[in-house]
Amino acid sequence: MTKQLLAMFLLVIIVCGAPLMVYTSKEEVVFEPDKLVSRAVYLVEQMSHGTLGTYELGQTEREIAHDLLPFAVRSFGLLLGGVLLAVFISVIVGLFLQRFFLARLLQRLLDLLSAIPDFVLVLFSIMLAIQFYKWTQIRIITLSPNSDAVNSWFPMAVLAIGPTIFLTKVISLHYRQISGEDFIKTALAKGLGVWHVLRHHVWKNILPIVLADLKKTVAIAVSNLFVVEYTLNVVGLTRFIFSKGAPYQFNAAVMGLMAIILLSILVYYLVRLLLYVCTRTFVYE
Amino acid sequence: MQKNRMNLSLWVGSLLVAFLVILAIVGPWIAPYEEDFKERVRNVEVNGKTKIISPPLPPSADHWLGTDKAGSDLLSLLLYGARYTIFVTLLIAFLRVLAGTVVGVYLGTAEQAQRWWLAVENAWGYIPMFIPAYFLLSGINVNAELPVGALLAIFIGLLSLLGIPSVVASIRQKTEQIKHSQYVLAATALGAGRHSLIYRHILPQLKEQITVMFVTEAIAIMTLMGLLGMFDMYVGGTFMTTDPITYHSVTHEWAGLVGAYRGFIYSAHMYIFLAPLGAYTVAVVSFALLGKGLRQRHQGTYHRTAYL
Repeated sequence: MTKQLLAMFLLVIIVCGAPLMVYTSKEEVVFEPDKLVSRAVYLVEQMSHGTLGTYELGQTEREIAHDLLPFAVRSFGLLLGGVLLAVFISVIVGLFLQRFFLARLLQRLLDLLSAIPDFVLVLFSIMLAIQFYKWTQIRIITLSPNSDAVNSWFPMAVLAIGPTIFLTKVISLHYRQISGEDFIKTALAKGLGVWHVLRHHVWKNILPIVLADLKKTVAIAVSNLFVVEYTLNVVGLTRFIFSKGAPYQFNAAVMGLMAIILLSILVYYLVRLLLYVCTRTFVYE
Repeated sequence: MQKNRMNLSLWVGSLLVAFLVILAIVGPWIAPYEEDFKERVRNVEVNGKTKIISPPLPPSADHWLGTDKAGSDLLSLLLYGARYTIFVTLLIAFLRVLAGTVVGVYLGTAEQAQRWWLAVENAWGYIPMFIPAYFLLSGINVNAELPVGALLAIFIGLLSLLGIPSVVASIRQKTEQIKHSQYVLAATALGAGRHSLIYRHILPQLKEQITVMFVTEAIAIMTLMGLLGMFDMYVGGTFMTTDPITYHSVTHEWAGLVGAYRGFIYSAHMYIFLAPLGAYTVAVVSFALLGKGLRQRHQGTYHRTAYL
C-alpha cells in the first residue's frame, strides 16, 4: 500500500512537472528534466517542514495547506454525491425497474445520449437550466462561488450523467443475460415472487459486476469532475490544478491532483461499503 | 439476425463521415469569407434613420451562422477549421491503431505474459487521458513562436503516444484469445512460425475489430480534443491575450472554437457558442453512428442465434 502510494506520488510529480520540463522558448522545444527534480526536492523539503507552500488565487497569495481541506471537502461531497446518484439510478433503472416499459424507454434515451461526449452533455444541461430559468423564473443553477450549499445539487446531478449512462448500460446488459438463465426459470416456476427473484437471484449475481465496474465508474466521474467544477465555478480541488490566467503553479497542481486521487479511492471504498450494507439490510434482512 | 436487413446506423454514419471528409477538403474553397475577414462597425440607413451595426451580428443572409464578437464570419471559421478537426483526428487514430496493433499482436503472441506491461496497462486504464495531455501541452501550446505545422506535429505525436497503451491492451487480449483456438494450434503443430501465424491467422481474424477500434479511437480523440479545448489547449496552438485574458484558436479547429466561445453560453449571443458546438457534436455523433453500424455488422456476421 505504501509502495503504491509512493509510486502514485511520483507519477503525479512527473505529470504535474511536465510544463516545467517541456516548454517552448523562441522557436524550439526545450526539454529540461533537472528543473523538475529541483522543484520536486524543494516541495518535499517544504513538506518536511510542515508546510505545503503557497499559491496564487487571482491577485492574492494564499497558503495551500489552509485551503486544501475546505476545497477537498467540497470536491469530496460532489464526487460522492455524483457517484452515489449514478449507482442508485442505474441499479433502479437497469435492474429493478427494467421489466417496465418506461424504464426501458429511459434507458434507450441514455443509450442515445451515450454517443455524445460527457462534457458536451454538461454544457447542454447548463443551457437547459438557463432556458428553464427564462421560462419559469425558477433558478436551479448558480455560478456564484460563495453561494450556499443548497445549490450544490445541480453540479452533483450534472456530474452523475456520465457515470449513470455507463453503469446503466453495463447493468441492463447483464440483467438480460442473467434473466435468461435456468435458475431464474426454476425460481419463477416454483412460484417465487418477481421481487424476491430480483433481490435474491438477479441482484446477487449482478453485484460482482457492479463492483468490478465501480472503478471505471469513479474514473469517469473524476474526469467529469474537472469539467463540472471548472464550468460551474465550484470552489473545489480543480482550482489548484487549472489556474485561470495565473502562471502555472507546481506545488498547487501536485497537491490538487494527489488529493483528487486519494478522494477517488476513498469514494470507491465508501460506495463499496454502502453497497455491502444495503445488500445486508435489504436482501438478507 | 436477418442477413439483408438494412443497417441504418452504418449507412447514415458512413454518409455523414464522408460528408465531413469532403467538407474538410473543400472547406477553404467554399467558405463565403476570407479566414481573416472581420465585419466592421458601420452605419446603415433604415427607414430614414441611421443605425449603427456592430458585431456580434446574429445569423442573417450575409452571415448564415452570424459573426463572433470580433466580426469574423462563423461559417467561414468552421469551414477553415474543419480540415484540422477531421484530419488530425483521423491521423491520430490511424497512428494509435497502427502502433497499437503491431505491439499488441507481438505481445499477445509472446511465449510468456509480460508482467511489467500488465501493470502499465492496469494503471493506464484509470487515468483520465486529458490530465497528462493537458500538462504536457500547457508548456508548449500557449503563445508559442513555433509554426502551426510544428505545433500540430507535437499535438499529433503526443496524443498518439498517450493513446497507444489502451489499443495495445485490447489487441493483446484478443490475440491471446485467438492464440488458444484450434486452428492456430493446428497451424503451430504443422510448423508455422510466429510471423506466419500473425499474418495468416491472427490479423485476418482481427480485421473487423481493428476497423471498429479505429472509429472508437476517433471518437475518443475528438472527446479529448474537446476537453482540452475547454481548458484552453487548442489544436495547432492557443493565442492568449493578457489584458483582458482571452484565448483564441489559431487554426479555428472545432473543439477549440467550442472552448474559446464557451463564455457566450451565459450571454445573449448564445448562437456564437451554438455554431461550433453544433458542428462538433455532429462530427462526434457521425463517428459514433459509424462505429455502432460497424459493430452491428460485425455481430450480424459472427453472432450465433440464441435458442432460448
